[in-house]
Amino acid sequence: MTVKITWMIGGAQGSGVDTSASIFGNAVARAGYYIYGNREYHSNIKGRHSYFNLTISDVKVHSLSDEVNILATFDAETIFQHFMEAKDYIIYDKTLEGTKISAVQSMEPERAEKIEKLLTSNGYGTTVKDALNYASSRGVKLIPVDYGKIISEVAAELKLPTSVVERTRNLIASAISLRLLGIKLDYLRAALRVFFKNELYVRMNERASEKSYDLVQPVYNLPEIPVNGHRVQLDGNTAVALGKIAGGLRVQTYYPITPAADESTFIEDNEVVDVLDPETKELKKAGILVFQSEDELAAVNMAIGAALTGVRAATATSGPGFSLMAEGIGWAGMNEVPVVITYYMRGAPSTGMPTRGQQGDLLFAVNVSHGEFPRIVIASGDHVEAFWDAIWALNLAERYQTPVIHLVDKFLANSYSIIDESELDYKGKRIIDRGKLMYKEVEDYKRFQFTDDGISPRVPLGYAIMHYSGDEHNEYGIITEESENRIRMYEKRLKKLETADREIPEEQRLKVYGKDSDIAIVTWGSPKGPAIDAMDELASEGINVQVIQVRMFNPYPRNLVRKLLEGKKMVIDLEANYTAQAAQLMKLNAGVEPTHYVLKWNGRPITRTEVKWAIKHILSNPNERRVVLNGGA
Amino acid sequence: MAVLKVSLSPQAYRGKKWVDWCPGCGNFGILVAESQAFAELGLDPRRVVVVSGIGCSSRMPDFLNVEGVHTLHGRAIPYAMGIKLADPSLEVVVNGGDGDLLGIGVGHFVSAGRYNVDMTIILHNNGVYGLTKGQASPTLPRNVKTKALPKPNIKDALNPIVLALASGYTFVARSYAYDTRHLKEMIKAAIRHRGLALVDVLQPCPTYNDINTKEWYEKRIRKLEDEKWDPVVKDPKEADEKKFRAMEKASEWGDRIYIGIFYQNEHVPTYEERMLSRISNYLELPPAKQAIEVDGYSLTVIDKILEKRRVI
Repeated sequence: MTVKITWMIGGAQGSGVDTSASIFGNAVARAGYYIYGNREYHSNIKGRHSYFNLTISDVKVHSLSDEVNILATFDAETIFQHFMEAKDYIIYDKTLEGTKISAVQSMEPERAEKIEKLLTSNGYGTTVKDALNYASSRGVKLIPVDYGKIISEVAAELKLPTSVVERTRNLIASAISLRLLGIKLDYLRAALRVFFKNELYVRMNERASEKSYDLVQPVYNLPEIPVNGHRVQLDGNTAVALGKIAGGLRVQTYYPITPAADESTFIEDNEVVDVLDPETKELKKAGILVFQSEDELAAVNMAIGAALTGVRAATATSGPGFSLMAEGIGWAGMNEVPVVITYYMRGAPSTGMPTRGQQGDLLFAVNVSHGEFPRIVIASGDHVEAFWDAIWALNLAERYQTPVIHLVDKFLANSYSIIDESELDYKGKRIIDRGKLMYKEVEDYKRFQFTDDGISPRVPLGYAIMHYSGDEHNEYGIITEESENRIRMYEKRLKKLETADREIPEEQRLKVYGKDSDIAIVTWGSPKGPAIDAMDELASEGINVQVIQVRMFNPYPRNLVRKLLEGKKMVIDLEANYTAQAAQLMKLNAGVEPTHYVLKWNGRPITRTEVKWAIKHILSNPNERRVVLNGGA
Repeated sequence: MAVLKVSLSPQAYRGKKWVDWCPGCGNFGILVAESQAFAELGLDPRRVVVVSGIGCSSRMPDFLNVEGVHTLHGRAIPYAMGIKLADPSLEVVVNGGDGDLLGIGVGHFVSAGRYNVDMTIILHNNGVYGLTKGQASPTLPRNVKTKALPKPNIKDALNPIVLALASGYTFVARSYAYDTRHLKEMIKAAIRHRGLALVDVLQPCPTYNDINTKEWYEKRIRKLEDEKWDPVVKDPKEADEKKFRAMEKASEWGDRIYIGIFYQNEHVPTYEERMLSRISNYLELPPAKQAIEVDGYSLTVIDKILEKRRVI
């Protein structure tokens, strides 16, 4: 029997929720468990509510659940926001029992009102105790903790001011949770050392954890699982960054934007990389240039400029930045420059909800910039894919000499998985394809030479005299408006997309999960995770569905999509937007229209509980063509 | 600047294409002076990258037989920086108009001063947007009515020299398009300068600017060198004072307009030099010179980074 336990911790932003969730996950993973966890937060630095939801499993897990087994809290707001999701335990600060919703100023009034109404309509008052009593009446067990006492003890013991030790609240809640799971405290101690470099912080959190660990008895009794090989904890930003580094990226430009910037700062932090000397086989140091530019216009255009020297160059951004990059991407298309834009979609339009997720920019990515030119668009569905796709994007860009847009959504960027290191192993694999790039001096060089496949031999600046121009140009890159040349040069550029369509196996452009069934869920990006986890859980309830994940949107795997979906009783489109953008592209390219839509655009991730519910709902209400999800605080 | 190595005539740096600027355009003078400067510096045409934006003057690369990158309106500087920082061995020269560099691209023009990348910017400054038929540019003074304007200009002009100095440019000069000998020397000095260099080239537009004509300029132009102006910062302590004096001198825009080198300070490290504190072999092994694969096998090893993320 598969174990799946969902744990959630919440608290004010700036109180270490994110760090403690990473430490907790790291500790649990040391006992041999897989984890998928996601951070939800406001566009705010300190004070607003944030929470981290994670699922622990003995098998690989790719999604979140709305049914929270252990809810770890140390403030009042988290209790109000999440007590309805708690299933087994709520850990809470007993001194907060009397706090009323109306006293929680950080809570958005619309949300506070909704919760007040829920409590009062069920005959409760509006204090923390009322919310807890309500939860208790639904079978949830309460674990009151005297945080203040533990903190003053640690403060006295280590001779530190309590204001400093206050920051251990999240670790106290985590240590109690760990004990409930039956996982060794030593793992938490080891995890602390990964995240805190300051010995004082390690010591203080260690003492607070030790003092709280014994407050409860183990309940879940998770056994240690022996693991072969190594496992790593990776979030989406880091997975893409590592893929880019492994794939030979040497210039990354960016302008700070949520949720993309962490990728670039990670690369900057690791800008000196180990590189194998092909002759001596020894490791040498080499540098990656990471440039924080004055805006996204500079970011994309610097990356394109760098790419002209033959270097693998990329930028990473989100919607507002991508909007600014549109013109530059067109120049790269016109000038056949390999450049990669990692596009972390977030809540849009405009500034939208900067720290929330959405898949609302697919059609924009596929059509970005004016005019017709090949734009290759791929989308990752999990952290391992994000790593490999970052390499794939660099290869596609160089092979087809055109901009490649790698779509990642915020739900992947800010979530993490525990991954078997072997899944990221590229040793002994030919992972780099530089296409028609040559490092040699050429006389009378035609940068845009007409060829059968539309792709011209490419040499970097410095090796031959060449010209680039965003104006229509001849084979030498010299501006011309001559009509015959226009026809041929235009066709040459677009022919590259046909070449890509011919060369890239459609099987590589989509993934199929599960056995053949007359019900198919068609999805893309991060919702693939909840879709496949729901698929497994539904199968155990006797409902068989198949999941099809589209991974490349241009060129689109039209023949395979058509073949796979032919004769299906139900084709259910699952995506995090309003207008079912991937379904629109499916209809346009493959001529297949979904029978049903499951959509979500409230900025919160789609969970496996929601997908399961939606599929069952559609099965019993087949006339309801459009199901809208609204979960998440 | 990059290494000298070839000996070619100025003509060897000129392209084959018919130059389609209006007769009498100041750009001709810049084209002549720029190719002469390349020849006299002995630059290998394959190692010189002329990057331009959009506008009449930005057509420059098409008329030169060197590496040419004709980019987007206002974005020549980021392209140039991307090229230079990926391969610092290339000699990078930006050409752009006043509308391009000081209007749509002014954010990059200002920011470039903070970076001090070792490259040269040649500003073709004629007070109008030529290629769109003569609208007022950011350097056209208020109340001036050039011939294509329906009404006198209602906006103030900015002074490129003062702006460059305030932004941190480490070499700032002004020249005049029809004095190709002076201009050539300015371009050579700018290219030789270690750091970001601006040459603001006053340039008549015979088609759309009927105010700042050849005659108008030639009555006013004075050479700094004739006044024993010393632009060079010898001690970092005198940098501010020299900068302020240069701003003052460059602000004169009446009976006398000065050309020449206003300011030069090589005590400020270039961006490339600053990179050495991060990546010690950045200049020997810049991004563009690194081998990343052999037969498709990646040479980059990420084991140590992964190790830090290990839970088991």
